[in-house]
Amino acid sequence: MKRLNQLPTFRIQYGKELSVNFGQKRCRGLEGDTIASALYANDVRIFGRSLKYHRPRGLYSLDGECSNTMMAVDGIPNVRAENTPAVDGMNIKAQNVFGKTPDFDMMRFMDELSWAMPAGFYYQTLHKPSRIWPLAIKHIRKAAGLGILSPDFHMRGKFDESYISTDVCVIGGGPAGMCAALSAADQGLRVVLLENRPWLGGYFEYRPREYQKGVPLYQRARELAESVGHTPNIRTFKNTAMIGSYHNNLITAFQRGNKSDIFTERYLEIRAGSVVVATGCIERPLLFENNERPGVMQIGCAHRLARNWGLLPGKRAAFSVGHDLGLEAAIDLADLGLDIACVADIRQDSYDSNLAAELEKRNIPFLPGWVAIRAHGSKTVNAVTLSSINATRRRKLSCDTVVASAGMTPVTGPVILPGGKLTYDNHTGFFLPATIPPQMHVAGRLLGLDDPFAIETSGLLAGLKAAADCGKPVENNLKEMAKNQATLPGPTRGTKLVTGPVKGKETFICFDEDCTLKNINQAMHRGFDVPELIKRFTSAGTGPGQGGIPGHNLPMYVAETGESPDRNPKPTTVRPPLVPVYLATYAGSNHDMSKRTPMHDSQVKAGGKMERIGVWNRARRFSSDTSARKEIENVRNNVGLLDGSTLGKFRIFGSDALKALQRVYVSDMSKVAEGKVKYSAMCNEDGCLMDDGIVVKIDENDYYMTASTGRAGQTIEWIRYHTRYDGWNFHMVNLTDAYGVINMAGPNARKVLEKVTDADVSNEAFPFAGYREFLIQNMPVRAMRLGFVGELSYELHVLSSYMQSIWDLLEITGKEFGIQKFGLEAQNILRMEKGHVIIGSESEQRTTIHDLGLGFLWYRNKPEAKTVGAFALKDTEHQKGRLKLVGFKMKESGTRVPKDGSPLVDSRIRGYVCTARYSWALKEPIGMALVDDDLCGEGTTLNIYEDGCKGKLLSAKVVSMPFYDPDGKQMRC
Amino acid sequence: MTINLERRSPVKLKGRPVKTGIREGRQIVSGYAGAGKGLHIVDLSHFSRWDIQDKRLSRIQPYGDMIPEKPGQIFMDKHLLMGRLNATQAVAWHFSELKPDMPQTQAFTDITDAAVALALTGPAVYDMAEKVCALDLADPLKTPPFLVQGPFSHVPCHLWVLDRTDSGGCLALTCSRGYAHDMVNSILEAGAEYNVTPEGEDIFRAWLGWGG
Repeated sequence: MKRLNQLPTFRIQYGKELSVNFGQKRCRGLEGDTIASALYANDVRIFGRSLKYHRPRGLYSLDGECSNTMMAVDGIPNVRAENTPAVDGMNIKAQNVFGKTPDFDMMRFMDELSWAMPAGFYYQTLHKPSRIWPLAIKHIRKAAGLGILSPDFHMRGKFDESYISTDVCVIGGGPAGMCAALSAADQGLRVVLLENRPWLGGYFEYRPREYQKGVPLYQRARELAESVGHTPNIRTFKNTAMIGSYHNNLITAFQRGNKSDIFTERYLEIRAGSVVVATGCIERPLLFENNERPGVMQIGCAHRLARNWGLLPGKRAAFSVGHDLGLEAAIDLADLGLDIACVADIRQDSYDSNLAAELEKRNIPFLPGWVAIRAHGSKTVNAVTLSSINATRRRKLSCDTVVASAGMTPVTGPVILPGGKLTYDNHTGFFLPATIPPQMHVAGRLLGLDDPFAIETSGLLAGLKAAADCGKPVENNLKEMAKNQATLPGPTRGTKLVTGPVKGKETFICFDEDCTLKNINQAMHRGFDVPELIKRFTSAGTGPGQGGIPGHNLPMYVAETGESPDRNPKPTTVRPPLVPVYLATYAGSNHDMSKRTPMHDSQVKAGGKMERIGVWNRARRFSSDTSARKEIENVRNNVGLLDGSTLGKFRIFGSDALKALQRVYVSDMSKVAEGKVKYSAMCNEDGCLMDDGIVVKIDENDYYMTASTGRAGQTIEWIRYHTRYDGWNFHMVNLTDAYGVINMAGPNARKVLEKVTDADVSNEAFPFAGYREFLIQNMPVRAMRLGFVGELSYELHVLSSYMQSIWDLLEITGKEFGIQKFGLEAQNILRMEKGHVIIGSESEQRTTIHDLGLGFLWYRNKPEAKTVGAFALKDTEHQKGRLKLVGFKMKESGTRVPKDGSPLVDSRIRGYVCTARYSWALKEPIGMALVDDDLCGEGTTLNIYEDGCKGKLLSAKVVSMPFYDPDGKQMRC
Repeated sequence: MTINLERRSPVKLKGRPVKTGIREGRQIVSGYAGAGKGLHIVDLSHFSRWDIQDKRLSRIQPYGDMIPEKPGQIFMDKHLLMGRLNATQAVAWHFSELKPDMPQTQAFTDITDAAVALALTGPAVYDMAEKVCALDLADPLKTPPFLVQGPFSHVPCHLWVLDRTDSGGCLALTCSRGYAHDMVNSILEAGAEYNVTPEGEDIFRAWLGWGG
């Protein structure tokens, strides 16, 4: 197809060619083409097939208002070809086509079966007998639908996000929007301007009609766009579709990236002090038989196709319109070389007589009071039948294009979503905002304005109102601007006609859902009289176009044809997202923020198998052996090093610090002696274990405490919450990341430590449960003698920046004593052999410290009301029917280890396995389980049920704990 | 047995250091090759930071008179930033090459190693920041310097808005040290469109007029 010669409104660049693949066809385009314009330039008229009836579909709005031109692009389904720039090498496929090309679809016979699919078809048929439905649904899904997404499809591209704060957000980059932005920016405010198209200009941008003498509208649009571009406090986002509008002026949108952008799409969340909605109008479809046949298109589509992309919509066109834009487009397109068969205008009068005279000058037949009632042609249009509105006369004209539009309808979604209400306006025929949310203003064509000066002035006025919202003193400017507005033409009278005299069987009110006027009539005959219910019953307006096409016509048609005509029709609801958006765009860049210990890199280098534990990355083990046998045996026989840096670490100080500790710990914290560690637990109000850790006294009213890894983030808030009414003088500092922790454990641990410090670390000078501060090569270390893994252990707390160096020093020094790293799996088994619990593994939300055998931690003589959970601890101490922690071994030797979490059963579930592993020290499987209290006696048999065991239960018996070194000699030596 | 005990920053920036030195056992990079005039990311983790907490902060000696009155305010003077966090808590951040001695009163805690500290300087700092942070750091009603506590790349941070001009700005941030790797990656990713490059501490000092 030959393009027009260079026009000043072109958005394509001659000389910069590209090509896209449409099925087997290679289509040449130009830089600046959308997929739709590139295909159209290559004579592609059928872009896909419709949802139910497999009817051919083609260009209609050029703004992606319906699913007609949704296509699969590079494997991504439902890409809006009208809004997506063509990129060299793109692979494009038509959707819902059974055949090689959309021109020949094997399912086209579905169109002949429309009689079998009346409104509410899904609700009425194929449900009885009920077994048919699963079969039917499978085949319906195969035959119908738009794109197909492969379950293993990987979405390529970079999806970015941005959280923008601004004073004023203007939605719509047409003349009113640009004026609003300039007016607000002139007051020194920060302005964000959103425009769906790749350029600013909207209603003016492509039109050659005069704005003022010698200045066409398109030139005025460019002047305004330049002013916007030169205003530093206006940030313009082109290619950006607004998708949501919420209370407190939160606007969401997404921006499509172009070649120079680093993102494919970017999600925007904009918080504004005030919002101006200048979204203008879209065309209201004219309803007639075959009104969606390829070749039928809106005025803006035909006009912009020529003016922006240099493509005449066809060879011979008939116009059936209800707005002066149609007359203007017919004149311009005729001047550009399109043969115009006639211009039928719904209006008997109220059209612009100057435009009518221009049509006459060009010998274009002008038919006021006439309307299209049928498009002819099996695949694309080849003729149109026109009728007088009163159906007394008809005329059939051959043509390949029907430019059809019933009038305009405002884009009010941004006003409705945050709670604005619309009412029907008889003068304009629009649903206009009657109530607008606070700090939101409307401007431009959305108000029914057509006069260019009135549109611009309404924008300037809205910008000033927004400035006033932001606290700018603009009262006088507002008054003056309102005065100016009053001198300019107000909203123009609009048309109300929805359809000419048609039967409605092939008159589509909703293209996305293949819904006809006949379907609407069927619903109304069934008693549905509210558009919102008819929408649901017929599915009109529930497709990806979100009611853009049927949104105005449906309530109007229902109001006109209902049993008792409604003088106050109500539009149907719209919901975000207002336009289709990829889920990937919503997901954004999805930064997965996790924490690394100071040892992370060296642990990875040493072969550490890293796992995500909460926010932390930790080494599970250092070999592929999942049993971690070597690491375990090395700790039992030599010495091992564990990175325990993820432990929560806190300083708590102040004259009332002890009171705070007494409140949250169950033990008597006044007995924290200098040079000793005190192990204790925190419970919630139910007496259930929340956390455990140690506390040491580092000075008068100054303590250092630890929390479990998982609770590090909450501990400060936990303590603050439980002391919030006391007004105590104490302060806390989170030192979790300030200190790294090295757990050096094993019979040779002391030998290693002695070699790196001058301090006396003998058992006498530094006994079990002791706390010391000493230097390792002039580096201060906080050291604790603990025994979580059941061996002689030192927990060394060192400044994080020194952590790697100290670790390296210990590794080098300990080489002669067989020092090796060990990971979480080894620690898990070592501590289990010792019967030590891990919160979350051996406890759950209902587990008290009594259930775990830790009741000895509870100091009963503290005033009960002062310790969190004390009342409940008293109540549950001897309570029957609780789950208690027990140790178990398998009854028969050679039995494998049961899986963690397996239920224990007899005639019912009696508990579950918490942790079970093979013990290399005992050379047999061992485990810990929470069981009903009547099963916790030593020697009791526990039957373990596992997934897929087919009734064959594993048998274990309760044994005493600890399994290993019950006297604790190893850790105290 | 002795080895050289080296202190390490949690931040690893890819770049060729051209001006380095050792301070307090740490290798410090003062400048990188080819950093250009674009947006820069600077590792400030080695500068001393102290947490100060007391019921009556203004009475703390020394420094009490430097602690700003209201949360969010920053006092800047002689290589020192003092930010007020809440009624009873402030943070002091020292940028002098010589590490000052921390007062030995209970109110002070050395938290230098607790956090990763980064600065972003140059043009488009706040354009980049809004890609990972929903807080309005460019609010014209707030005049720098000021301090905001909130999420940056989903991580709780202290955000020190130190300078903001038409040509760019200087934003420093601190968050838990463990997040260093992911925070730097997140900034580099978000800043890719602004050509973010690593720079040494000199540019940060220069930006604040504290000499190169």
